[in-house]
Amino acid sequence: MTTTRTTLLAALLSATAMTSAAYAADPIKIGVVTPLSGTYAGIGQQVKWGLELATKEVNAKGGIMGRPIELIYEDEEANPAVAVQKAEKLFEVSKVDFLTGTVNSGSTLAVGQVAERAKKLIATTVSFADSITGDKCSPNVFRVNAKAGQQSTALAAWLAKEKPKAKVFFLGPDYLMGRSTVAAFKEAAEKVGSVSLGEVFAPLGSKDYSQYFGQIRAAQPQVLYTSVAGNDTVRLFAQMEEFGLLKNLTLLGASGTVTSQNIGAIGKAANGFTTGVGYSTEINNPANKAFVAAFKAATKADPDLYGTDSYGLIYAYKAAVEKAKSTDTDKVRDAFRGLTWSTPQGDKTIRAGDHQAMQTMYVVQVTDGNFKITSSVSGPDAIGPDTCTRF
Amino acid sequence: MVDALTRSMRASHVLVAILVSVSLVIAAVGVAFDDTFYLRLATEALIFAGLALSVDILLGYTGLLSLGQALYFGLGAYLSALVLMVVPSFWAAIGATALASALAGLIGGFIVNRVRGVYFALITFGMAQVAAKIVYNTRALGASDGLIGVPVIDINLGIVTVSSASPAGFFLLVLAMIVILYAFAAYLLDTPFGRLLIALRANEARIPFLGYRTMTPRLAAYVLAAMIAGLSGALYPMLRGFVSPELMFFETSGNAVITVVTGGAGILVGALYGSALLTLLKSVIGSYTVHHLIVIGVLFMGAVIFLPKGMMGSIRPAIERMLARREPK
Repeated sequence: MTTTRTTLLAALLSATAMTSAAYAADPIKIGVVTPLSGTYAGIGQQVKWGLELATKEVNAKGGIMGRPIELIYEDEEANPAVAVQKAEKLFEVSKVDFLTGTVNSGSTLAVGQVAERAKKLIATTVSFADSITGDKCSPNVFRVNAKAGQQSTALAAWLAKEKPKAKVFFLGPDYLMGRSTVAAFKEAAEKVGSVSLGEVFAPLGSKDYSQYFGQIRAAQPQVLYTSVAGNDTVRLFAQMEEFGLLKNLTLLGASGTVTSQNIGAIGKAANGFTTGVGYSTEINNPANKAFVAAFKAATKADPDLYGTDSYGLIYAYKAAVEKAKSTDTDKVRDAFRGLTWSTPQGDKTIRAGDHQAMQTMYVVQVTDGNFKITSSVSGPDAIGPDTCTRF
Repeated sequence: MVDALTRSMRASHVLVAILVSVSLVIAAVGVAFDDTFYLRLATEALIFAGLALSVDILLGYTGLLSLGQALYFGLGAYLSALVLMVVPSFWAAIGATALASALAGLIGGFIVNRVRGVYFALITFGMAQVAAKIVYNTRALGASDGLIGVPVIDINLGIVTVSSASPAGFFLLVLAMIVILYAFAAYLLDTPFGRLLIALRANEARIPFLGYRTMTPRLAAYVLAAMIAGLSGALYPMLRGFVSPELMFFETSGNAVITVVTGGAGILVGALYGSALLTLLKSVIGSYTVHHLIVIGVLFMGAVIFLPKGMMGSIRPAIERMLARREPK
């Protein structure tokens, strides 16, 4: 027993040594620390698909400055303590040039610190906590996806146009992300003239929302903003429909409130639900159409926000390295600052002051079970002020 | 003449001595190859070995299954991170953690020691979950994002100064720290107090007939375990530079129990070997397959079925026999 285990261990160790040996072709290595198992495995899958599609395309056209891209994956289990260990392994043992893939904001922040100490760069394509490019910004961290603030700004701009001086009621799940999304939208909506009537927070996983309906009805709102997600949305919307609360009420929400996963279960109660997002497969431009077709052909699934942002990142890194003519950290960082590159979502630009990508934001509405784009907000209007003070 | 329990403890000391020698060789090899990752991984394994050690004091000696030991580990980690961000001093962080974890262990001990058996396991689990949720939702503690920006510190040991960023230096420091915690626990458990704990595990109802109170040793064991978990946790932010609420989640507590059972319960040294094995396996297997949890699960089941005393629990009797032969008759 012990002997077998030792042999196995020895075999595994020597395999590690082999992968770290130098390749003749000298590829550019990109580490991907992403959840491949557990709750967030679905997001990790999209990240992987997006990165792989872009890598295949870039490598087919000669790679970056003649060097092919090689992706090296590690499972972070959506746990920052695992993510830092895996990131360190990629930086120190696999000697990756660049790293991406982290999903939850805690992992992105912690891995960003590892990158600072290893003097390497990372980018997130998923995490949306404002702090990553705000008060906890790092010179070694970039974000190519839209942050929470961009989503709420886009939605508030739409609200101001469609229903000026709207009376809004807020209902969120009672935990930090729920409360902070409500607070962010409330601030953005009040800035454009909306009137806040009140807010309630229901426990995560609530079975019965009717206890809040009296309060909502008494306030007589025109608009209800909610940031509940998953099965909570299914129950909330179904119960609101039963109680006849949906009449003459516009439903707004966070981008995770109604998704392709729960829209079927919500049924027609989801009709008219509106949210602000950074991507929709409906975006009508040739680049997006080609991307959706290629993505479907490769994976037999539709790309979502995460897959698309991850796809775009490879092209951003390519553009930055080609501009810097090097993979050196300082040179690539300078090249990233102010970089504009094209993605299926249109052109994106990385703001030099906080490393946040500016992009056109879309307002999508559920119509007969499908998401339809109703309007868009330009990048500079949606990004908000630069609050990063570290660099 | 040495009695059987003292001889068993000496056998554990021999196994720890072997582990320390191997660790010193690893440190030397690591320095020679200018390695960072594996040394820091080994450091992390030692830190989690400290947590497992605290679980073993409760599970292996006192017979109390704690499913919430991450509460004290997390407390130590957060407190150490907060102290280091204000005063970058190793001793301040360790001192504050020792005090706070003893206090928290005393309070928690009064709550959980009112019940026995499965209820003890459930209440420890519940308390850790409550604490984890509070941290997860407290903005001042970084909430779900955790706290980043714990500075690299220089640890003044009197004769030499070690930087927490030096892979080999910090590895040796953590090794020393864990060995001290082990030695302290081993010393206490070899005194009459330790015998009382073993008696508690065997038959608690008979202890009062021997003239001892049962609450005092149970509480003392719980506080001791809380302090060891807290002090191990205090080393985590020094190594990784951050803390996150995941450190307090059930996964951390559960892993510590798996570590003890795989390594061997009731022998202290099992926790150290178990942690080294599991940390290495997780890191290596995780790079080859996303199904690493299946491998860990199968290993755990295998250990329970084929090595019910754990890896070291199966090896230790051989060392005990060897020690017995060398004793003067």
